[in-house]
Amino acid sequence: MQSKKKELNPILEVNNLFASTEDLPILKGVTISVHPGEIHAIMGRNGCGKSTLSKIIAGHPSYTITKGEIKFSGQDIQSLEPEKRAQSGIFLGFQYPIEIPGVSNLEFLRVATNARRKFLKKEELDTFDFEDLVKEKLDLVKMDSAFLSRSINQGFSGGEKKRNEILQMALLEPKIAILDETDSGLDIDALRIVASGIKKISNHETGIILITHYQRLLDEIKPDYVHVMADGQIIKTGESDLALELEKHGYEWTDNFSKQYR
Amino acid sequence: MQIIEEIKKNELVGNPTEIQKICLNKLKLNPLPNVKSELWRLSNKSKFSSFLDYSHKNKESKIKLPYENESQNVVRLIIGENSIINLEGENYSIRKLEDSQIIDYIKKNISNFDQNDNWSDLLNHCLCSKKNILGLNISGNKIPPIEIFSASSSESFNAKTLIVFFEKNCKVDLSQINLGNQNSSLSQSTYLCLESNSSVNHGVVSYGENKSNLLNSLNIVQKAKSEYSLGSLHFKYNFARFELRINQLEGDAKTIIKGVQITKNNDQIATYTKMRFNGPNGKFDQINKSLADDKSHAVFEGAIIVPKIAQKTDASQLSRNLLLSKNAKVDTKPQLEIVADDVKCKHGATISQLNDEELFYMRSRGLTLSEASKLQLSSYFQEIIACIPIPKNRWDLLDKLLTEN
Repeated sequence: MQSKKKELNPILEVNNLFASTEDLPILKGVTISVHPGEIHAIMGRNGCGKSTLSKIIAGHPSYTITKGEIKFSGQDIQSLEPEKRAQSGIFLGFQYPIEIPGVSNLEFLRVATNARRKFLKKEELDTFDFEDLVKEKLDLVKMDSAFLSRSINQGFSGGEKKRNEILQMALLEPKIAILDETDSGLDIDALRIVASGIKKISNHETGIILITHYQRLLDEIKPDYVHVMADGQIIKTGESDLALELEKHGYEWTDNFSKQYR
Repeated sequence: MQIIEEIKKNELVGNPTEIQKICLNKLKLNPLPNVKSELWRLSNKSKFSSFLDYSHKNKESKIKLPYENESQNVVRLIIGENSIINLEGENYSIRKLEDSQIIDYIKKNISNFDQNDNWSDLLNHCLCSKKNILGLNISGNKIPPIEIFSASSSESFNAKTLIVFFEKNCKVDLSQINLGNQNSSLSQSTYLCLESNSSVNHGVVSYGENKSNLLNSLNIVQKAKSEYSLGSLHFKYNFARFELRINQLEGDAKTIIKGVQITKNNDQIATYTKMRFNGPNGKFDQINKSLADDKSHAVFEGAIIVPKIAQKTDASQLSRNLLLSKNAKVDTKPQLEIVADDVKCKHGATISQLNDEELFYMRSRGLTLSEASKLQLSSYFQEIIACIPIPKNRWDLLDKLLTEN
């Protein structure tokens, strides 16, 4: 795949990645490269391996890489713990954000933000300074400060959970954000809020991977590249028009690519 | 087991009081509880033996309190150290019970004691000197929070008794802090009697030091329309038993019990609860949580007893347990004994491990495994801790203790 910004080194390189869980192969040779400022979309049927790819990049311990490599800022991260990956700037926006009863959202966000700041050699924030920062970021996703005093995602609606994910992205200022079906379960207004938040947070140094089933998110955030995944592989890559074609023809249209790829 | 030998010879204490004599005689024939009974079969025999092995000479050292500063808004009492207590406020009074009231009350209770079920209280009354019995009568509805300390001295066996009568319409926050010093055993027996329409928000925090043991017996009697709520926390004990008996004398009362026990190393902490309804329309809601790490052992046994007279009872008992290591052990047994036919009663138990997906979620935000585990654990017992009515300025210490443990 040709990068639009060849002069910059890729933030993320996934090379011929094979991975499995409990001896079940899921990824069967995925290759993707994301440069600073690029937005990539990955589309595909349920169960094709999109979420698995995102979790493996973030370091989920349930998956085993059997072949290939993942490089972040030029370094192989296969041996890095999930927290080290996060601290160094990899962000995964969860398809189903986890509810953690009893753990204050505010305290969780503060500890997470300080872990990232520590890595960036920035001063860690005390409770008061952090509250100022978080209130500023809340505006990006139009969240009420009352969410901060609640337990992580507990009792949040689907839309609120997704907005909380984007709030975390805003606070952590990642180098690469992988957003796994951030648009699922959102009504039109919530989708616009989330999309607007993502656009405001991203900049020429950030790479973004949007995992989605639908064009509607891509109407709000135009991707530079669209990849179609099937059976653990990327079977086609194109520009934003590819998503429109998919919307028009459905995934059956991609079956031919899949056969050709095999 | 020196204590048992001396019970057999009836020479446990010199110059025994009337109560001590009665209890010694009761224990003389069967000085130990039946270790095959449900109530005692899971008790670690060697630890129980070590509980009884500390000198019974009852060394009395001054209690070192965990909170340095006394708050003006809190009534602080120390069992064994306060002699005169008579506090009168505009809308309340806290009076010490007369000796005769205390004796009558304990005698009345002893006469109904089951040798096995109430063994802990019998032992307590054998060993507890008059000085170490605190009896209070509390009335009013704008009562300042009360905190009562009980402690064992190092290398000693100490027995302390607390009796509190809550008058009609009384409303109060009561916290009880049991402290175990190094190589010591504490026998704490507590009796709380709630008159009708009274409301007691009770917290029990028990924590020990190296090789400290605890036998904590709490007996609650509730009259109609009373409300009793308990938040309890037991941790850092080599061996601890928390026995909780609640009797809704006339039914039509409300009882909420939330407890957590944290075991590490080779500790054993057990909670036994018996909820009895003696009238209709009673309500009971209990959740007991255990966190067991290393090679420790946590035990929960609960019983809800609903006789025929207790129609329309609404009761729930849930035991939730978290195993933090492969070598830790949990035994749990919530039970219902129902004769009445128009009741809503449920019980359940879960045993699980730390949630991997929750951990990954936090780690994916940069928290280390250790930080994520601590947050997850604190969330686990937060639900319980939040019910303990300890004044805010006391929480720092408790937070610190919990973080360290």
